[in-house]
Amino acid sequence: MTKEQPVTIVMIEDDEGHARLIEKNIRRAGISNRIHHFADGTSALEYLYHDPNGPTHGGPALVLLDLNLPDMSGTDILGRIKSEGALKRTPVVVLTTTDDKVEIQRCYDLGCNVYITKPVNYESFAEAIRQLGLFLSVIQLPEVEGE
Amino acid sequence: MARAFAQFGLLSERQFNRLVLAFMSLGFLALIAAGVTTGALMLRSQQHTEWVKHSYEVERRINLIRLHLERMETSRRGFLIRPNNDFRLVFARGARALGPDIDMLEALTADNPRQRAHIAKLRTQTEQMIVAAKASVALVDQGKRSEALERFDSDGSVDQVRAIRRITERMMAAEGQLLRQRDAEQRQSVRTFFAALGVLAVLLVVVGISSLVVIRRYTAELSASRSELRALNESLEDAVEERTADLKRANDEIQRFAYIVSHDLRSPLVNVLGFTAELDAALKPLDALITRTEEAAPEIVDEEARAAVREDVPEAIGFIRSSTQKMDRLINAILKLSREGRRTIAPEPLDMTALAQGVADTLQHRVAEIGAEIRVAPLPGIVSDRLAIEQILSNLVENAVKYLKPGRPGRIEIRGMRTSQRAIFEVQDNGRGIDPKDHDRIFDLFRRSGVQDQPGEGIGLAHVRALTHRLGGTIDCSSALDQGAIFRLSFPLSYSEAQKATS
Repeated sequence: MTKEQPVTIVMIEDDEGHARLIEKNIRRAGISNRIHHFADGTSALEYLYHDPNGPTHGGPALVLLDLNLPDMSGTDILGRIKSEGALKRTPVVVLTTTDDKVEIQRCYDLGCNVYITKPVNYESFAEAIRQLGLFLSVIQLPEVEGE
Repeated sequence: MARAFAQFGLLSERQFNRLVLAFMSLGFLALIAAGVTTGALMLRSQQHTEWVKHSYEVERRINLIRLHLERMETSRRGFLIRPNNDFRLVFARGARALGPDIDMLEALTADNPRQRAHIAKLRTQTEQMIVAAKASVALVDQGKRSEALERFDSDGSVDQVRAIRRITERMMAAEGQLLRQRDAEQRQSVRTFFAALGVLAVLLVVVGISSLVVIRRYTAELSASRSELRALNESLEDAVEERTADLKRANDEIQRFAYIVSHDLRSPLVNVLGFTAELDAALKPLDALITRTEEAAPEIVDEEARAAVREDVPEAIGFIRSSTQKMDRLINAILKLSREGRRTIAPEPLDMTALAQGVADTLQHRVAEIGAEIRVAPLPGIVSDRLAIEQILSNLVENAVKYLKPGRPGRIEIRGMRTSQRAIFEVQDNGRGIDPKDHDRIFDLFRRSGVQDQPGEGIGLAHVRALTHRLGGTIDCSSALDQGAIFRLSFPLSYSEAQKATS
């Protein structure tokens, strides 16, 4: 995370409440990067690939992805990000309620970097998100290749 | 034909069959009747032949008599002309033969009064003639030849011979008529016999063909129904397979449903719990604010605001939290059950004694704390899923420890025995027992029994039962209040998919 190019966090999460709680707890961990929230896959993809300020054209980004979206499956977005173009090195953190073994395997096969199950217990949930925040504050991200 | 009848709806299949049977029986009866008639006709024809033969015999006899007569007469005349021993011999033979010939003829024509009348005349005439002839022969022997010749002209022998000839001719005519009549009769009876034979043949052909047709029809029907049966049998197998697949699909669907529902239920729960925590956190600065305000300007703080911040809201948060936590536990229980249903069973040979001892050991600390004791008797080994069996036993033993009777030293025993196909395990305690009316209920999800003084959601036994069934086993409970409880498990000695399907 260089100072010249602050990392944008792209959060794709259809549940507004979850999104708010995730954002709050990331902030509590001391992460002040911009968080872009999208409640559906279509607008998220639009931002990721076509927005002038989006990661393809703008600075580096990190994707927080929920798998249960109203318009498409999170795995479709994951597959698209990891398979082609400028975003294939963009870290994707899958953050979802599903702990189905098959689903987890599938996400890693598609190239997801981290898979986290949302704990239902709020304390655990808050703790997990704060740790994710701490994790985000130390990881190094690759440069996005310009097109 | 049957089809045509059936199509027109005139006769039912059964009626048609009855009709065919009746016709066939009738045909066979007619056949028998024709056979008997033919036999009778043949006998009659034979009789007629006999009669014809008889008539010929009579004619032959008559001719024989005539021959002898003529011979005798001729020899007599010859003897008169030239007395010679040869003529005498011939005459004597003829005269001797005539009597028996007539006797035989009489015997033959015993049935015919007309011929008998002729025979009677014939006999008299013949006897007279023989007497006259003998007399003339005797005269010649005495050397009175001229006298004999004289007598021959006068004694009417010539007329006699003629009379005899007439009689025999009449007899011949009568017999000839009889013969013609009998011949006609015989021919008639032969014709009738052949006609009957023809009828018999036709009947035979008709009955034969109809038998053949009926047999062919039945054979065709039989083979048709047999192939139909085979097809049905095959389709039954297919149907069973299909049903099994349907059931499996339905089961999978339910599992998926439980899983998805519980997941989707968890999602809003995160929000409820999360924002309750946020609310709780937000309450702290408010509480601090009220404290500060009370110190700085007590008149601003009214009783209502203080109660809201310090009592009502914390109380509400407490209820929301405990309720949602409980809901979370319940959802987790459903999730766990559905996950158990999806887990693949990995059967392996299990040393049950060691396994049960292991379960007892993990609880040793708590058991020692309350002064109880767990004894493990030697158990029969089985082939089954280790994790599931461990889970079942530890749930049962945990329950036994949990519901011991206060003030009575706890005794928990795990024992087992082996029958031909299955292994029986029992977990017995001397705890507070279970009311018999609750024995079924305790295995249901979220249902509990007795005094609710222990934590728990009513999940353990439901889980135990689900696992037991999954392994092809059964579980039941015998207990009475205050008498302790025995949970009895029965497992197949060796787990197999097939057993699971039938359990």
